[in-house]
Amino acid sequence: MKKNSKIKVVTGNEAAAIAASLCRPDVIAAYPITPQTEVIEKLSEYHANGLLDAELINVEGENSAMNSITAASLAGGRVFTATSSWGLVFMYDAILAASGARAPVVMANVNRETPGIIAVSCGQQDMISIRDSGWINLIAEDCQEILDMLIMAYRLAEDDEIQLPVMVNYDGFYLSYLSEKVEIPAVEEVDNFLSVLKKQPQRPRLLPGKSLGCGSHGILGGYLELRYKHCNALQRAKNKFQQITKEFQKQFSRNSGGQIEEYKTADADIVIVASGSMCGTIKTVIDEKREEGIKIGLVRIRMFRPFPEEELIRALSGKKSIGVIDRSVAFGFSGGPIYIEVKTLAQDINTSALISFIAGLANIDITVLNIEKIIADLIDASSGKPYKTVNWIPFEQEA
Amino acid sequence: MKKKKSEIFKYLKHPDPFESGLSFCAGCPLELLIRLVPKTLGNDIVITGTPSCSAPVLLGQNTGTWHKLAYYGTLMTGAAANATGLARYYNRAGIDNTVVCFNGDGTAADIGFANLSGAAERNEPFIYICYDNEGYMNTGIQKSGTTPFGAHTSTTPVGKKSRGNKNRRGKNLPLLMAMHRIAYTATATMSNLGDLAEKLLKAKEKKNEGFVFLHIFCPCPTGWGVGTDKSIELCRMAVKTNYYPLWEAENGKFTFTHKVKKPKPIFEYIKLMKKFKHLTEDEIQVLQESVDYNYRLLTKIEAE
Repeated sequence: MKKNSKIKVVTGNEAAAIAASLCRPDVIAAYPITPQTEVIEKLSEYHANGLLDAELINVEGENSAMNSITAASLAGGRVFTATSSWGLVFMYDAILAASGARAPVVMANVNRETPGIIAVSCGQQDMISIRDSGWINLIAEDCQEILDMLIMAYRLAEDDEIQLPVMVNYDGFYLSYLSEKVEIPAVEEVDNFLSVLKKQPQRPRLLPGKSLGCGSHGILGGYLELRYKHCNALQRAKNKFQQITKEFQKQFSRNSGGQIEEYKTADADIVIVASGSMCGTIKTVIDEKREEGIKIGLVRIRMFRPFPEEELIRALSGKKSIGVIDRSVAFGFSGGPIYIEVKTLAQDINTSALISFIAGLANIDITVLNIEKIIADLIDASSGKPYKTVNWIPFEQEA
Repeated sequence: MKKKKSEIFKYLKHPDPFESGLSFCAGCPLELLIRLVPKTLGNDIVITGTPSCSAPVLLGQNTGTWHKLAYYGTLMTGAAANATGLARYYNRAGIDNTVVCFNGDGTAADIGFANLSGAAERNEPFIYICYDNEGYMNTGIQKSGTTPFGAHTSTTPVGKKSRGNKNRRGKNLPLLMAMHRIAYTATATMSNLGDLAEKLLKAKEKKNEGFVFLHIFCPCPTGWGVGTDKSIELCRMAVKTNYYPLWEAENGKFTFTHKVKKPKPIFEYIKLMKKFKHLTEDEIQVLQESVDYNYRLLTKIEAE
């Protein structure tokens, strides 16, 4: 632990609010939505007590939250917002505009179901709904990682080789309201960590009296060039994030992986691919199974966009069976969304069984029993027994 | 005889940041307005605008533009929110600024109304200019929230079962905005340029106190069916019939800036264009009543 750090028991939402404050944002705009509300309540509280020096805009909807911080970002400010579910999709056009304008905004998204009916419950469907918006998407596992990832998010977003918006996702309910021990670094330490950005060439700013256009009408070659550069920046973000994580570890003595976290995968025959809060349970079950002599490991996806293709190929190559657990669905496809993406790497991974598990929708707990059954299925598949490719948990799983 | 120089010239203290030959429709008064704003307010304004009639000129294409201003092309849904973010950041960073959010009536009265109202309620420190041509003209003359009673548009056509826009009155946008009791609200049009320039300058001052909403009546020769030399005449007649009264309001205190002694009947205005030509005597009377109602309301509010 760093000498001047503090240990506090806080909720995931408070960890997000603390992280944002530590990064000294210029402009924060937000609108309340369950389960994110506590983030903006905390920020308002810090602001009211003089602990947070920022412009706080209580907007009339999420769309305006994203639009105002995007503009402030293009003018040169450091910005923050937080949302969830319907709030995320209500700002969808603004989300596209932010990434199209290469505005380095940072947002916390508290994952919640986004169905046709109001489901006030956990699920990653909101994140999946905006996956093609050109943002960098990170997924945290616990409250500490929410704080750490948000600090790293500013380094990644504002880096002069990246210049892209970053969304830090964490599970609603399971993490948003979970109180955990979190190590909170001193603000000077965070200043120091972010100071690298000040040494970089300053990005173009929209300023009075400067002849500069943002959001021009890009057509034909001009548009193509912007898209090409945007896609390349996303690819660069993979190694950049890896590098930032290393620097973070050096300064704060904490590291939970780069684009992916590999948990006991080195000698594993069987691997689960998952993300978010369910990984805690998975790790516990893996520890038990390891004691029984089963060679099993976990690959936890920390960076969802850009998709860590190379890292996944490296970590999953030659494994006998791989199970991907999705906390969301891919409409019109016969497997979960992350499963489908892992499947695009099948040729390089060269595994005999790649299985989809759709679990934990709408706050259905992903239990130890569920994971044990998933592991049993993966063991069967690895030994050549017949298996079902797509499994809905617990709907299609026997007790 | 020497022609008297228009009073407007004394307000035009700054260079014109626009190229000559902008891509507006022939006779569109929007060109006059768009040049007037930076010539009156200065070229250091930051202008934001949405896809609209002004967009082709303001946005430019790729790296080319028709002007030298700092410009941000925003979404129609979030125009006022974008301007909010800019103004708040500049103020925080100690950067002297005049942010002008320049939009049509579709953005202001319809799809972007929520964030316009939100910015007004929070008294955000910038100038919102709505040029009102009473419809979605850039997409080809469709009905908007400010399209008046009876008007023909491509989505309120005149047919066997339809008589143009059936809503009794378009949204009274400037009045709605003034009711937020913002720092400054004003109506203006291009037939009264001195009045318009005065209001622009006042807007620049007032935005330091809070939100400013300027509503500019801006006829569309193409969409309304008038000759390309008639736009200013339309503005003038809209004022003379009280179809478009000129007033201002500071924090909810109303003042008429131009009173018409003997208002002309609305027929004198609508006869100038094709969009009302199908109206019957009774229908014209409905429009007249709408004009009278709006004016009576303003008179009562002014007396408050």
